[in-house]
Amino acid sequence: MFKYYFEDFHPGWTFELGSRTLSAEDIIAFARQWDPQRYHTDEEQARASPYGGLIASGWQTACVGMRLMCDGYLNESACVGSPGIEEILFRKPVRPGDTLRFRSTATETRPSKTKPNRGTVTFTWEVINQVGEVVLSMIGTQLFLRRTAEAEGKG
Amino acid sequence: MTKKYHFEDFTPGRVWELEGPTVGKEEIVEFARRFDPQYFHVDERAAEDSPYGGLIASGWQTVGICMRLICDAYLLQTASLGSPGVNEVRWTKPVRPGDRLRMKMTVIEAKISRSKPDRGTVLHRWEVYNQHGDMVMHMEGYGMYARRPE
Repeated sequence: MFKYYFEDFHPGWTFELGSRTLSAEDIIAFARQWDPQRYHTDEEQARASPYGGLIASGWQTACVGMRLMCDGYLNESACVGSPGIEEILFRKPVRPGDTLRFRSTATETRPSKTKPNRGTVTFTWEVINQVGEVVLSMIGTQLFLRRTAEAEGKG
Repeated sequence: MTKKYHFEDFTPGRVWELEGPTVGKEEIVEFARRFDPQYFHVDERAAEDSPYGGLIASGWQTVGICMRLICDAYLLQTASLGSPGVNEVRWTKPVRPGDRLRMKMTVIEAKISRSKPDRGTVLHRWEVYNQHGDMVMHMEGYGMYARRPE
């Protein structure tokens, strides 16, 4: 039914995908709705900020990564959600015209002790710009159904 | 530009309590179609057969709602210089259509920068609750703020 189950992930598994180019309009539109700080919404004020110009909200970069992950493999996986993220680092500003790609690397897999039909996978997720700089990195966990549990239906 | 809040205003223990919106089904689907199109966020019928038993909001939407709440409450009036990052985001309960969110922001720690003494880093804890008082998300995030000019 799905392409990827818990068993398909192992430490070192990696998937690199993308890309998405953010325009000034994309940056401003996102920020007006979710994070209207001056260096995300106003080019002129952004020039006077420590960033010297418009930069994307870090949450937009995270959302771009999330979407690339969905399109790349997550929507073909038996993912049943995420308990959370250990760390998000906004490493470099994302500026208009930057083209972002996404890299997911599994670092640890643990079968659930309480729910034998699923397991937890820990990933390092990185959003990378067109010159190869990691602009955002996250360590996050997701729950996946086990392949053997598929016939049992509901998680 | 003069701002109302500076580093000095974020003293450990200071709390902001913010009333959030009711999250509608259409907003959940619209957000998820753009950013997180997993079936339990975008497809009501398929979500019923998921472990959640119905449509739930993307955790990133909950984060976005909170970011907007703090922008409107104080951040846009703060001499903010950005954020280096976030620790420990936990989505502890699903957010479902019709849930009304509120948020409690507590200042955990405030440190003046050693290398740039005109600014400091503040660690905040966000807790987000639904209308039943259940915590749906918590996280800790850093903000960098300019110190108040003498």
